[in-house]
Amino acid sequence: MSPAILLFLAIGLGLAGWLVARARAWRFKREADPKSANGGRLAALPIYHAWYAGLWIGGPMLLFATVWNAISANLIMQHVVGQDAASALPAFGLRRDAMLAQAQDVASGLANTTAIPEAQALVEPFREATMLYGWIGLAVTLLLGLAGGAWAFTRQKPDFAARTRVEGGVLAVLFLASLVAILTTFGIFVTLVFETIRFFGMVSPFDFLLGLHWAPDPMAANADGSRYGAIPLFWGTIFIGAIIAMIVAIPLGLLSAIYLTQYADPRWRKWIKPALELLAGVPTVVYGYFAALTVAPAVRDFALAIGISSASSESALAAGMVMGIMIIPLVSSLADDSITAVPQAMRDGSLAMGATTNETIRRVLIPAALPGIVAGIMLAVSRAIGETMIVVMAAGAAANLSANPFAAMTTVTFQIVSMLTGEASLDHPATLSAFALGFVLFIITLALNVVALRVVKRFREAYD
Amino acid sequence: MTDAAPPIVARTRTPEFEARLKQRYAAERRFKALGFGAVAFSVAVLIILLGNMLLNGLGGFQRSELRVPIDFAQVGLSIMEGTDENAALRSLQGQGLPEVVRFAAEQALGEEAAAELNNEAWREVAVALVADPALAHGQHTFDLPTSEDLASAHAGDGKVELQPLAQDLAARGLLHDSFDPGFLQRSDATDPQLVGIWGALKGSILTMLVTLLLAFPVGVLAALYLEEYAPKNRWTDLIEVSINNLAAVPSIIFGLLGLAVFLTLFPGLRSAPLIGGMTLALMTMPVIVISGRNAIKAVPPSIRDGALAVGASPVQVVFHHVLPLALPGILTGTIIGMARALGETAPLLLIGMRAFVSTPPDGFTDNATVLPMQIYLWSDQIDRGFVERTSAAIIVLLAFLLLMNGLAIYLRNRFEKKW
Repeated sequence: MSPAILLFLAIGLGLAGWLVARARAWRFKREADPKSANGGRLAALPIYHAWYAGLWIGGPMLLFATVWNAISANLIMQHVVGQDAASALPAFGLRRDAMLAQAQDVASGLANTTAIPEAQALVEPFREATMLYGWIGLAVTLLLGLAGGAWAFTRQKPDFAARTRVEGGVLAVLFLASLVAILTTFGIFVTLVFETIRFFGMVSPFDFLLGLHWAPDPMAANADGSRYGAIPLFWGTIFIGAIIAMIVAIPLGLLSAIYLTQYADPRWRKWIKPALELLAGVPTVVYGYFAALTVAPAVRDFALAIGISSASSESALAAGMVMGIMIIPLVSSLADDSITAVPQAMRDGSLAMGATTNETIRRVLIPAALPGIVAGIMLAVSRAIGETMIVVMAAGAAANLSANPFAAMTTVTFQIVSMLTGEASLDHPATLSAFALGFVLFIITLALNVVALRVVKRFREAYD
Repeated sequence: MTDAAPPIVARTRTPEFEARLKQRYAAERRFKALGFGAVAFSVAVLIILLGNMLLNGLGGFQRSELRVPIDFAQVGLSIMEGTDENAALRSLQGQGLPEVVRFAAEQALGEEAAAELNNEAWREVAVALVADPALAHGQHTFDLPTSEDLASAHAGDGKVELQPLAQDLAARGLLHDSFDPGFLQRSDATDPQLVGIWGALKGSILTMLVTLLLAFPVGVLAALYLEEYAPKNRWTDLIEVSINNLAAVPSIIFGLLGLAVFLTLFPGLRSAPLIGGMTLALMTMPVIVISGRNAIKAVPPSIRDGALAVGASPVQVVFHHVLPLALPGILTGTIIGMARALGETAPLLLIGMRAFVSTPPDGFTDNATVLPMQIYLWSDQIDRGFVERTSAAIIVLLAFLLLMNGLAIYLRNRFEKKW
């Protein structure tokens, strides 16, 4: 039974229950005071009786349909594999998967014949199992709907407080929605920790965290710990994201913020601020393309012109510069916030003592806003080291431990992408190393963010 | 006679002071100029970036075409009517339409130029014939795509030996660049002359639909709970901290989660909009929660007090009064979050939405790719034709982002109340 049918069934029956319950509540209402046109008073409005019944019918059905949809494919597969016809299957491997998939396609009408003739025998069991589980799913869904409806209708009486029940349900849904965030965080954490532990079962953590040589071989049968030294990746990430990008972003972002808050005509400010924000809204893949196509060749030509013959077409400098440009609006808007949070009295006091505007800014505003600015820079660094597309398109794949900005350099995010888009299987140490790298990235960005948010909070309290 | 009193000179305005003051004013001007320079640089980069894409991209909306008159009266093709287009195309192919087109091209342009007609050019003739069967009884002139080699020769690079031919054909008015509406209707292909953006665009639309359907309700409900009902305790703090952290986690981490969780649960749906949308929804939800909370916080407490005072229950207060008033703000935040998701590439790269998709996806479980991914895939191609096509795809993506952000700004200005 296709998921859409179960879905429509749940909505349709829920709606029917909604209408019936509302009609029934209106009957109670009229019976309570037959003389009045609007009937007497019930403990709850008819609409709440309607929702009470509708939710009791549709809710369990939808819930079950979702779960069933997720597990029925596996149930069908197990059923088929348990049949006699499946004994001819190879025990495991690609051919077994292909035969099962082909038979399933034929059974569901996606294909006419199986490419592997032996798989033909499996078509009929698939058809039967699909039918069987389809009917089971339909029957259980209907039963749940009927049971829910019966429960709701036995409860429905003139003095039944349907509204508090429905509102209790609404609150429960709101609470569950807020749990999704925790579940996601938990899911990320568990996934990364689990896969990282598997990786450390094959490669020692010391080799990984302290090794100087990064050259995983996705085809090698055994994990060679000496090829999984991640220091060059960490260095590349810091060099591009925290050094080059910040050399571009911090002065430009800070000066922009100062100019816009202290000097710029408000009419200009109204136009320039959104323009800067536009820079933040450009997708990273566009920056990556810009870096790879326009900036990187220019950087290489420049390097060759000043006599650096080793300059490659993919350079840390090009990626870092473009990343810095991408970060400017972030630094600028956070600096803007913390500068405007400095009390006007401090600024006025300094100006009254005869300081020029720039002296006021440098000696009073910036020191006062410094915690906020530093927090903003930390957020910017965390954003830069997690940035992927720019480095994937412009920074290169070679793990280089050098301080030459014209050399190709690779980063943590680049290696995560290249390890997971390659040919290696999911159990291979090369693939698992991507999760270990992701874990390191997650921890570092998390730490930067937590510290930055705490600094901002304390800073705000100081002036409130 | 007494000496005249010495002129009263402010003791501070000594020559040293004047010199220092001059210096300080100079420093002031320098500092101001520096600030102006920083802003000007940022704006200049924005203009260069957009201008670069626009200049390159305009070429990407064009293709090189050869003018080929075809006289169908001599050939006598029969066109299947009333069947589906694919069957009609196959029937025309069976009747030798590709050879007819090739022959007509040889007659009109000469053998050398006809060899540079695109291999798939006959398809466009066939589509035109199916659309208007009356064409099959007379002569009609078609503008058909050239091969990639001739196109780049026409643009002034590529194979040197083809350039004289391109110049000759162009001089005779037989070869020209024209606007290619098909770019917005076709899907990915190996030949830059034949690629289109529609497949990726449709994939993006389907993916965004999934993201919106998942992230918007969950985000709004979570924001309502946290802002209106949540008790102040450790549990609530934990939820708040994890939402703030999720908003700052690098997007690639969500890709790792999607790969490890969603693709393990649904192994058959690699590269489907459903999985992509689910992954992006996890990323977008915190953005919606945070902006939603700010919008809800902005609704003044007097509204709640008034509703409570006339007997509304807490749930009625929120759903009848607070939510409608906060909705414009929530929608603005949602659109901004969706715009971010639309431009996101990295997580989708990890969950495998990088397939070569030559037919637009028809559903949430079909193989699909999205706009930014198409840009990434094309940027890897070496053919010159793809450079312009990539920029054209970027223009399409940026146009959509601009549209969404414009809508958000409009909503904010039109509906947001200052209390």
